[in-house]
Amino acid sequence: MPEATPAIGGMKNLLEAEPFRRYREEAARVRASLDELLSNEIPAYASDDTSLVVFGSLARGEWTSGSDLDWTYLIDGQANSDHLKISQKIQTTLEKAGFVPPGATGTFGNMAFSHDVIHQIGGQHDTNRNTTQRILLLLESYPIGARTEAHERVLRGVVSRYLEEDTHPLTHDSKRYRVPRFLLNDIVRFWRTMAVDFASKQRDRAGKGWGLRNAKLRMSRKLIFASGLLVCFSANLDLALQSEISTGKNDIKIKLASHIRNQLKSTPLEILAGSMEKYGVPGDTANQLFAAYAEFLQLLDDRRARESLSNLRSENSRTDAAFQKVRRFGDSFEQALDKIFFENASIAPLTRKYGVF
Amino acid sequence: MTIGFSTGALARGDFRRALQILAGKNTSAVELSALRQDELQPLVEAIESLDLGSFEYVSFHAPSSMEAGFEQRALELLGRVSHLGWPIIVHPDAMHRPEDWNRLRECLCIENMDKRKPIGQTADDLERFFEILPSASLCFDIGHARQVDPTMGEAAIILSRFADKIQQLHVSEVNSQSKHDRLSCESVLAFQRVSHLVPTDIPVILESRVEEAEIEEEITRVREVLSPENHLAMASD
Repeated sequence: MPEATPAIGGMKNLLEAEPFRRYREEAARVRASLDELLSNEIPAYASDDTSLVVFGSLARGEWTSGSDLDWTYLIDGQANSDHLKISQKIQTTLEKAGFVPPGATGTFGNMAFSHDVIHQIGGQHDTNRNTTQRILLLLESYPIGARTEAHERVLRGVVSRYLEEDTHPLTHDSKRYRVPRFLLNDIVRFWRTMAVDFASKQRDRAGKGWGLRNAKLRMSRKLIFASGLLVCFSANLDLALQSEISTGKNDIKIKLASHIRNQLKSTPLEILAGSMEKYGVPGDTANQLFAAYAEFLQLLDDRRARESLSNLRSENSRTDAAFQKVRRFGDSFEQALDKIFFENASIAPLTRKYGVF
Repeated sequence: MTIGFSTGALARGDFRRALQILAGKNTSAVELSALRQDELQPLVEAIESLDLGSFEYVSFHAPSSMEAGFEQRALELLGRVSHLGWPIIVHPDAMHRPEDWNRLRECLCIENMDKRKPIGQTADDLERFFEILPSASLCFDIGHARQVDPTMGEAAIILSRFADKIQQLHVSEVNSQSKHDRLSCESVLAFQRVSHLVPTDIPVILESRVEEAEIEEEITRVREVLSPENHLAMASD
């Protein structure tokens, strides 16, 4: 399959434009200040066996004024009861510093262990919490401070684990990599889980927070899903990777794992921008997608609008001005994604083959 | 296969005892270890008196860390070793002024590090050292690489990127406390994933801490791990 010629030049320039640059720089500043704060309060809070990992807007480089702080204390080493004390101290320090704490599900704001994240993929013991931590670790996580080894090891371990289960990583003619189906299916599952949990939370919380969760589902959650699909598709589409297929069978999965790991170093927006450029998505589609996402971030950054969304219940959504805006840019965002995933000559066949059945 | 032990693994700090242990064993290589700063001078001064005639390959392990004030003295002592043409294994973080180590020229052999060390763990880290020290070769410690990345992805990158720089291999289990140990089943499986990338003709130095009676068994185990017949199949396509 020939690689499409880019339709417009410098698609990544979209990320350099406002407001993306501002929120990205703000995220970098907050991450640095977080490290400074924790280093002062809890010297050597991370080690070669532990990393403090942030998720959400802080990891994606989309930090706005009302962002909450999703974090986990990731442990990849010997069990030690002190880990809980450190985790609690991190929690207290962040609360005192005024960071908005993570949501009430318990997915973030505590410890996570590499063994569960790597071993429990699928099956009875793969809880919602574990799935969420694992997929977000792949698609939107960022280690804080200098001790990033545990994060890196676990991430590689997860990628490797997915690929171990794919018996045939190459197409029949051995000329291309296949899309890593186990990984892709788990990303699809995660997206559907988020959508189902949206309904579940509406019931559990009696409608509280519906508006903001809806907006995030339409935008940032969907962005993560789209970027995950593109990472999986890149295994089949990336020409540089295909050119590295060697006769040495032992190298095949190692190279694929390395490729996926490298892809995951980019933020979801960067993955979208890079893929659109690489696969020749028309410039107006890219502009539409980024314009919609910019509106979303600006709305989250508007204290009154965010508050209004937080308080909005579904029964009032059709008359709420802020939510009408969400609906409008949400539709536009989805239209742009439809064009990428269902009309692009490189991507659409993979969406058809792997996206649904 | 040219294979043998590090003296430090057999008898910590007592190289004469280690050489006695190796006498009569089926080894063709040895690494003389001065892993602590105060062991360097005694070992260098003893070299002429050591019977190393049975070894096809000899390398020398410099102190794994040293005070900045000792660095020039270490370089003087190691300069004497370099006249023998032996590879001198150096940890990246032991060098306070890396550019000064160019004086060891092609005898300088940089080792990739375990997870305790702040640098020298990844291919990118090592690349920076090789830019400063272009004549240096690589001592690839497969146990360190596994500890840093159990998937062996980083090991594969290091072995591929520096294929023409690999001077010798260090083999052992490096446990979660960064101690060298006998190979476990986990290590064997991990090493087999990349053993096809290890040049077949490079000397192998075992750092497993073993009793004398376990030497032959450990060597046999390592030979099996590195044997082309036992490379772990990673893919069936």
